[in-house]
Amino acid sequence: MVIVEIQDLVKKYPSFELKDISFSLESGRITGFIGRNGAGKTTTIKSMLNMIHPDSGMIRYFNRPFVGNEADIKKRIGYSTGTVSWYPRKKIRDIVDIVKRFYDTWDEASYRKYLDLFSIDEMKTPLELSEGMKVKVNLMLALAHKSEVLILDEPTSGLDPFSRNELLGIFTELRNNGVTVFFSTHIITDIEKCADDIIYISKGRIVAAMSKEDFIRQYSGAGESLEDTILRLEGGAIHA
Amino acid sequence: MRNVLRKEMRLSSSILSYLFIPFGLMFLLPGYPVLCGAFFVSLGLFQSFQTAREANDIVFSVLLPTAKSDVVKGKYLFVCLIEGCAFLLMALAVGLRMTVLSQSEAYRNNALMNANFFALGMACVIFGLFNWIFVGGFFKTAYKFGRPFVAFIIACFLVIFTAEALHHIPGLERLNAFGTEDIAVQLIMLTAGILIFLLTTALSYRRSCKRFEKIDI
Repeated sequence: MVIVEIQDLVKKYPSFELKDISFSLESGRITGFIGRNGAGKTTTIKSMLNMIHPDSGMIRYFNRPFVGNEADIKKRIGYSTGTVSWYPRKKIRDIVDIVKRFYDTWDEASYRKYLDLFSIDEMKTPLELSEGMKVKVNLMLALAHKSEVLILDEPTSGLDPFSRNELLGIFTELRNNGVTVFFSTHIITDIEKCADDIIYISKGRIVAAMSKEDFIRQYSGAGESLEDTILRLEGGAIHA
Repeated sequence: MRNVLRKEMRLSSSILSYLFIPFGLMFLLPGYPVLCGAFFVSLGLFQSFQTAREANDIVFSVLLPTAKSDVVKGKYLFVCLIEGCAFLLMALAVGLRMTVLSQSEAYRNNALMNANFFALGMACVIFGLFNWIFVGGFFKTAYKFGRPFVAFIIACFLVIFTAEALHHIPGLERLNAFGTEDIAVQLIMLTAGILIFLLTTALSYRRSCKRFEKIDI
């Protein structure tokens, strides 16, 4: 079942343009959104969250347009936009105490579980955390309110290999529980490990949006890894 | 609504916004331009906007499950709450000066403006200007607030100078009434001040919602 639908998204900047971005996310699947730095991943994700306004295009969640249903839809989705630090001198506990009041579906047990799993000390302030730990705090907030869809911008950046592996395991566990996971990354092995579908963006344009198997079948040469394939495609895109 | 206000009070605000509320009691100071109290309360509020910007508060707020207009509503509710608290202290001071202290030598020989209902109305005008010029100006970008604050300071001190000067103009002496003298005129001025506050705040809020909706975060 299609749970998120992006149609013909266009956003023009003086030096960059998102061109006719269209894709959909199926319920209970992990989708890796891949592209090099500056390809348009964050702009697309920010558009999906109404943080920036596309010049044209349609964004729908659960068959409802995002604009006009923003508050209701946001309660059913979780998102994390990188390692940005909110309220650097406030305790994590105090930030969480405010955030949880916005969600009817806040799950305290789940929050405690991720707090423990990520080894987060809630008495610390973001200023006292490493970049990797800040990513984990953002993720914990996104995971603790029983989101049906998780939208994560570069969630594995800054994480050590152990934490990355743990996180990818969590994605798989969530997927098995019916949660849709959409995450952007430029680390191709993350996609190789856990994604069901791939959306590949280059220079503001979607090059491919399909299942990982179809992508490999269509684009990979004999004996070529996914990483080699994307590097080759990106090299072609650069020289095109 | 309660949640966005709670977020403003516990995460976004600066302690100075609360600590500056008692400046409303400057209405008790004899021989001092009492309306400066309203300016200091506004200065305390400005600190919260500065603190919030340093803490990426706007981005955080936009990601919460609320409409963008609720982010604007939270800021206005917080500002009005602080202004309301300061107004109550000013009203308390005015009440004291109009009743038990109305014959006090220190106040009777006050060369400056008397703290009466007219002064209270003018404080409302200053708060209304803060909401219109500063808060409304902030939501043009949700980031830059230097220019709106300078504009507010100029407008605020123009109001203070004007209010201080008015009762020296022949025919307008009644604006500086002591106790319950000329109570009808005083009440009209207070009502006018409150109406100006409500109107500027409501219009500023509507304009800010429209502006903020268009901003790319």
